[in-house]
Amino acid sequence: MSVTLALPSKGRLKEQALKHMAEAGLSVDLPEDDRRYRATLADWPEIELVFLSASEIASELGQGNIDLGVTGEDLLRETIGDFDARIEIAARLGFGRADVVVAVPDMWLDVDTMADLDDVAADFRHRHGRRLRIATKYWRLTQQFFSQLHGIQVYRIVESLGATEGAPAAGSADVIVDITTTGSTLRANHLKVLEDGVILRSEACLAASRKERDDADKKAIAELGAALRR
Amino acid sequence: MTALPDFADDIIAQLEACGAPATDVAILQPADPFLDMAGEDLRRRIFLTESETGSALCLRPEFTIPVCLDHIARRAATPRRYGYLGEVFRQRREGGAEFFQAGIEDLGEADIAAADARSVADAHALLTRLLPGKALAVTIGDQSVFEAVLAALGLPRGWQKRLARAFGSPGALEAALSDLANPTRAAALDEPAASLLLAGEPEPLAAHIAERMEAAGHSLGAGRSPQEIAKRLIEKSELRSVRLSDEALAALKDFLDIRAPLGEAHAVLEAFASEAKLSLGSALTKFGARADAIAAHGLAGAFEYDAAFGRPLDYYTGLVFEIGLPGDTRPLAGGGRYDRLLTLLGAKAPIPGVGFSAWIDRIAEARP
Repeated sequence: MSVTLALPSKGRLKEQALKHMAEAGLSVDLPEDDRRYRATLADWPEIELVFLSASEIASELGQGNIDLGVTGEDLLRETIGDFDARIEIAARLGFGRADVVVAVPDMWLDVDTMADLDDVAADFRHRHGRRLRIATKYWRLTQQFFSQLHGIQVYRIVESLGATEGAPAAGSADVIVDITTTGSTLRANHLKVLEDGVILRSEACLAASRKERDDADKKAIAELGAALRR
Repeated sequence: MTALPDFADDIIAQLEACGAPATDVAILQPADPFLDMAGEDLRRRIFLTESETGSALCLRPEFTIPVCLDHIARRAATPRRYGYLGEVFRQRREGGAEFFQAGIEDLGEADIAAADARSVADAHALLTRLLPGKALAVTIGDQSVFEAVLAALGLPRGWQKRLARAFGSPGALEAALSDLANPTRAAALDEPAASLLLAGEPEPLAAHIAERMEAAGHSLGAGRSPQEIAKRLIEKSELRSVRLSDEALAALKDFLDIRAPLGEAHAVLEAFASEAKLSLGSALTKFGARADAIAAHGLAGAFEYDAAFGRPLDYYTGLVFEIGLPGDTRPLAGGGRYDRLLTLLGAKAPIPGVGFSAWIDRIAEARP
C-alpha cells in the first residue's frame, strides 16, 4: 500500500512546509516542471506527495481521499464537520501560527467579554430592528463558539470572503470573527479582541484522516509524524 | 419516510374534531425568518438552497413560522386556529432528516388561559387518539412566573434579562448565576473615557464615543449608537458594585427546584412566595387561571409543573409544555405560547399565539 501526503501548493505556507521538512531531514524531490503537482520523498518510497491548495487539503482529508496533509488547523476545523471522528493531528508544526478571534469595534467601551456581547446581542433586535451581524468566513467555528459554547443564539452571520476587518466600519456587520497574527490589522481597523474571544489558536499541522490502514501504512504515518513534530 | 403514516386519517379527523382542519403550507420557505428567530445554530440543521436571484430558501424545518407568515400575509381575521400535518426537514442526531409533524397553531385568541388550556388539551387528545391506552406524562413550565420571581427579588434589569434568557438551559443559568455572584473585573478604560465614566453623565460620555467613531470612520447610525454604548457602560459599572445576595440566590434556587402536580402547583407557588416574602402579582393569578382551565378539560394523566422548564428562545413568553411517555425523555409533542413571534415576523399589531407540534415518527414507534 502507499500513503498520500498533501502539501500546500503555493504561497508562504508551501515555503514553510518545505523548509520544515528539509530541516527534519526529509528531502522533497520536486518535479522539474513547476506546473506538475506530484513529487516524491527521498528515502520514503511508500509516501506519495501531491500539492493542493490549503483549503483543498482540509476538505480532501475530511472526505478521506488523502491520508496525510499539511495545512492550518483553522481550515481543518472549519471545513470538517465531525472533526474529532475524522481527523487525527499527527504533529503540530510550529509555523503558520494565527488565532481565530472575536473582535468588536474598540469604541464599544462597554464590551470586554462574550457575556457582554451576549447582552448586546439579546437587545439588538429590539433596538435596531435586526439581529447582531457577524462578518466571517468561519461559519462553523463561529456557530460552535457562539451557539454551543456560549449559548448565544440571536445573531446572524454575514459571509465575508475578504477584508473582513473592514465590515464594521462600513456598516455591513457589527462584529467580526477572523484570523489574526499580530493584531495590527485589527488595531488599524479600530477593532479589539474580546478577553475570552480567542476561538482557536491555530498553527500548521500534519493531519491524518482516520481510516482503516495496514500496519506498514500506520508505521509510515507514525514515523513521519515523529520526524516532523516540533 | 415520505409516505404518510397509516394513521394519517386519524390525525386529519382529530384536527377537524378540534376545530382546526389541516391547512396547506408550502414546503419551500424563505430561510431568513427561521435563522432570525431560532438563530444561526439552526443553519447546520436545515436544508438551504438559493433562488435564481440569490435569496436564501429552505425546506420547512417546522410549521409554526410558516403558518404565522401565511396568516400575516393574508391579513386573516383573528382569532383563528390552523391545523397541519406534513413533512418537515431537519438534520437530527437520531432519526431521519425528513419526518412528519402535526399540530395546531392558535392565533389571536384574547382569552390567554382558555387558549393555553385548549392547546394542551388538543395535544393531549391527539396523542390519546393515536396511542390508545398509553399513559401520558405532561410537563408544564411558565416563563412569566420565572420572570416575575426575578422582578420580585428586586434584581437589576440587566440581570433579570440575562437570567430570563438562560431560562430552560440549566448550564447557561448556572453560568449566569455564578457570574452574578462573583462579577468579573472590568477592563481598564483609557482617558478621557475613564474620567467621564466616573462622572457618570451619559451625554459627555456619548459625545466622546461619537468623536471616536467619527475619527475611526465608523458609519454612525448603522449599528450601536454612542448613546446606547454610554448608557450600557454606566449601567455595567453600577452593577459591578451590586452582589446577588445569599438570600436572593437561595430563593432563586428554591424556586427552580419546585416540581409539583399541576393541581397543587398554584398553592405551592403561593407558599414559596410567602416564605420568600415575594409578591408574584399577576403572573401567579394567571398561572392559577390556566391551571383551572386545564383542569376543566377533565384530562387524565400525570400533569406536572416544573419551575425550571422553559425554552431559551426569545419569542416564548408564557406557557411551555411537553407530553411524552412516562420515563421517556423524548417528547411526543411540545408546545408553548409565543406572543412576541408575530410582531417579530412583521405583523402590524401584536397577535398573541399558542400552539403545539407532535412528532409523528416517535408516535409511530410507540404504537402497538
